[in-house]
Amino acid sequence: MKRRICIILVFVLLLTALAGCSNNKGKTTGGSAAPTSGGDNSTNEPITLKWSVWDINSTTYYQPLIDTYEAAHENVKIEMVDLGSADYMTVLATELTGNDSDIDIATIKDIPGYATLVEKNALEPLNSYIKTAGIDVSVYGGITNQIIINDRLYALPFRSDFWVLFYNKEIFDAAGVDYPTNDMTFEQYDELARKVTNTTLGAQGYGAHYHTWRSAVQLFGILDGKNSIVGGNYDFLKPYYELVLKQQEDQVVQDYATLKTSSLHYSGAFAQGNVAMMNMGTWFIPTLIEKIDSGEYTDISKWGLAKYPHAEGVEPGSTLATITSLAVTTASKHKEAAFDFLEFITSSEGAKVIASTGTIPAIKTEAVIESISSMEGFPEDEGSAEALQTANTYLEMPVHVNSSEIETILNTAHDNIMSGNATIEEGIEYMNTEVGKLLQ
Amino acid sequence: MKTSKIKLSRILLYAVLIFITLLMLIPFVWMLSASLKLDKDVFTFPIQWIPENPRWQNYKNIWTKIPLAKFILNTTKLTLIVTTLQILTSSFAAYAFAKLQFKNRNLLFLAYVATIAVPWQVYMVPQFMMMRSFGLNDTHLAIIFLQTFSAFGVFMMRQFYQGIPDELCEAARIDGMSEYKIYKRIMLPLSKPALSTLVIFTFVGTWNDFLGPMIYLKTESKKTLQIGLRMFISQYSSEYGLIMAASVISLIPVLIIFIALQKYFVEGIASTGIKG
Amino acid sequence: MENKNKESKIRQLTDKQKTELAELEATLIGLIDCVQTISVSKEKEKVLSNIAKTQKKIKHIKLGGILSKETKRNLVAYSFIAPNFIGFMVFTLGPIMFAFLLSFMKWDGNNAMDFVGINNFLRLTDDVRFKAAFVNTVVYSLATVPLTLLFALGLAIILNQKVKFRNVFRTASFFPYVASLVAVAAVWNMLFSPANGPVNMLLANLGVAVKNLPKWAADKHFAMLTVILFSVWKSMGYYMVIYLAGLQGISAEMYEAASLDGANSWQKFKSITWPMLQPTTFFVVVILTINCFKVYDQIYMITQGGPGTSTLVLVYHIYDTAFKSWDLGYASAISVVLFLLVLIVTLVQFKGEKKYANS
Repeated sequence: MKRRICIILVFVLLLTALAGCSNNKGKTTGGSAAPTSGGDNSTNEPITLKWSVWDINSTTYYQPLIDTYEAAHENVKIEMVDLGSADYMTVLATELTGNDSDIDIATIKDIPGYATLVEKNALEPLNSYIKTAGIDVSVYGGITNQIIINDRLYALPFRSDFWVLFYNKEIFDAAGVDYPTNDMTFEQYDELARKVTNTTLGAQGYGAHYHTWRSAVQLFGILDGKNSIVGGNYDFLKPYYELVLKQQEDQVVQDYATLKTSSLHYSGAFAQGNVAMMNMGTWFIPTLIEKIDSGEYTDISKWGLAKYPHAEGVEPGSTLATITSLAVTTASKHKEAAFDFLEFITSSEGAKVIASTGTIPAIKTEAVIESISSMEGFPEDEGSAEALQTANTYLEMPVHVNSSEIETILNTAHDNIMSGNATIEEGIEYMNTEVGKLLQ
Repeated sequence: MKTSKIKLSRILLYAVLIFITLLMLIPFVWMLSASLKLDKDVFTFPIQWIPENPRWQNYKNIWTKIPLAKFILNTTKLTLIVTTLQILTSSFAAYAFAKLQFKNRNLLFLAYVATIAVPWQVYMVPQFMMMRSFGLNDTHLAIIFLQTFSAFGVFMMRQFYQGIPDELCEAARIDGMSEYKIYKRIMLPLSKPALSTLVIFTFVGTWNDFLGPMIYLKTESKKTLQIGLRMFISQYSSEYGLIMAASVISLIPVLIIFIALQKYFVEGIASTGIKG
Repeated sequence: MENKNKESKIRQLTDKQKTELAELEATLIGLIDCVQTISVSKEKEKVLSNIAKTQKKIKHIKLGGILSKETKRNLVAYSFIAPNFIGFMVFTLGPIMFAFLLSFMKWDGNNAMDFVGINNFLRLTDDVRFKAAFVNTVVYSLATVPLTLLFALGLAIILNQKVKFRNVFRTASFFPYVASLVAVAAVWNMLFSPANGPVNMLLANLGVAVKNLPKWAADKHFAMLTVILFSVWKSMGYYMVIYLAGLQGISAEMYEAASLDGANSWQKFKSITWPMLQPTTFFVVVILTINCFKVYDQIYMITQGGPGTSTLVLVYHIYDTAFKSWDLGYASAISVVLFLLVLIVTLVQFKGEKKYANS
């Protein structure tokens, strides 16, 4: 027993020693470093900037952006760091923790992750940089207002995707049914999906498809502009869950549980050629064009786009938006140079390069939309081009102090409702209680 | 009468054995057979165990879909280094714990034992912070440090060395051999089974480690096979044939090392695992 | 013994040491003479300290053998331990202690740490996810430990007999354990795919109505079972090998004697095999339990903790709390709970083992 006490004491001693070390370290690295001396970009010293991204191989606009920038700045080399798409924000946060990462420019994939990083002081406030560079943020159409935290802007958007309805023309042709229009209510959309469903075993065709993300179903509910996804009351989700679960029951859509366990990627689902309609973000457009062109997708060739279905009395073209933005890390040793590169990508110049690959940039001018819909491989009908015009856009997840916790709660409930492990009422009840707890 | 009874029980025994073996191996057979099919044929029922026209194409395509060769190279490199270091340092330390008297021996050993019950996930965060402050983030060195100094190796080797009679060492000491020589000439040759066991465990552990590389390795050219495989599965979830082909390839090295060292294996565990 | 040693030690001085000793003794005498002639106190002090030093040296040479033997012995031993222990200290022990310390802190990895006392532990009581994770971890362990034990023991007993192709069978049962988790989990997900997986196809052909087919990993009643089955399948080979090793330690004569007394197989098992395997079983149970509490990878690959929170386990929750919410202090508090859980179970098992051994 005595010996044990001795050992415990030794441990405690060691602990306190360690505590001393770690505390000191915390203090030295805790504060954000003062901005480095400016003029990084005016001197001709060669610098390498590291840019964190995901899916280098399947994203077409990274390289053209880098090439364009490097051609104009001979002393700068941009190096991409691929953190993978699956847990991108988690890995990025891990990377930026401790303020000694060598990443200079971080791509921000989602809002909860953005809020977390800001809270950790991992991102540099850009207000002074924006002022110095004389950037007019109104070109982003109000997007930047939605990512302001404590009156500061920590990132600038370079892509702004929104959700549309992708559809497979061949299935509609074969069934002799008209294509989806740009002005469908949810009832009409449901009807149409049922029309083109084929439940014959072995030759199954699905009228619609919902990817396993929460946003693919839940966020139908915020398109009327009356409800918020961080409001704490989720009763408004009921009709949409009812609609989708009914479709699932009638085999109009593939079973959520199956999709979840096989972790079927939405691109794979659509490419199999047995899904008539799928709601998905516009980021899927360049992938689809490219993979049909390269012959990788053999089971689908003719497709189209339509605007999101809308609730009764809501303007068509109301949809969900996600923004992808760029931030300068507090750890960066070349903040000025990093911001210069960031400024290029988020400028209208960068937007042109991004749009030329079929991706929708944050600065959406007529010309940009035009250049996308006139791309080789983009559907040629009027409707599909028209579908790229939006009315009201709502962020998938607004900036909120608890956004990452709310995200977890909503995901859990969504998972339970969709896989039939909880009734809609139980799921909504869970969301109301748990989010309610947070918001107190 | 009696012989027929024995015969019957024999037959029953073999039936049970074959049934269990099938249960153990069916997933692997499925993996192999799916890796030679088109994606749309993978789930046909009744199951075609032997594909009618095997698609060797899958094994060709996989190398261009992801940098599989690079992943394998990285993993092999890491695994070899970790296994070598782990074997050397743990058997070295274990010898002292088992055969030498010295100050604080029990206290130091207790430190090892105490950590066996602590899941790595408990301290991976502080460890990550520390590694980064050493500048080891996104380096293979981090993975090597992470894997090399396991309490388990020392614990296991010590158990084994304790089973070797002290008289052997004593006799050598009287002959004036130094401890290093005793370790090299007497202990190492005797510990083949235990070392083989440790080699298998370390090799398998490092080869199959997932979370460590996932946290530490960011650059694609540094990634290991397991994260590469997982990345591939999440990206190409419906390309079953390719996924299975990659999986089959990832199993081969483990299979080779396992079969090579198998004869020492049961013997090794027998001499280490038991006798708390 | 001790005295004899000392004498022999002194006699064993090398020639070199003997001359050194003689020289030192001469200096000592010189110094003592010196002291008596010096009057300046500073000088005197110097000489006095010199005297003390010389005396120490002499003592060291005379008894040196003994003292340095112990230090030497320690040094040799430490040289054996050092390579591993230093690494272990830095990369394992340090971080572990840091983690314990962290459980009383609030820290996000970037900003300064705050001491919050037991606040993190108080938060646990109101955390729905933690409760679910705790219960699931215990349920998982309670199911996996006995199942694995049963299969491993049965298989070991069969494979300890003289059967043809014994090694092939052994290898086959052990292979899942060494196979890559990412790969076999992918296969498992395919086999148990709710819509078209071979397992459900088989059940359907056996007459289970399509409506009643389990959704396995996507059904809250079956998700845990899917993971448990996977774990048992994957790890039983390893524990089987441990049991095999234990079985080989039982002498054949005992069985022969029992056969002569006309005992049947079951009686042999009850009165010989099971009691003789007690230490092995104890070892297996401890290791298995610890491993079950540590479960993470399988869950990550097969269910991601879902559906809902039905397969959320402690380590999963720790990972999310640490790397997704960056609540490092709270994550460490959960870690401490996990550690205590493991510790308690292990101690209880040790106590039980002792009791058993004494009775």
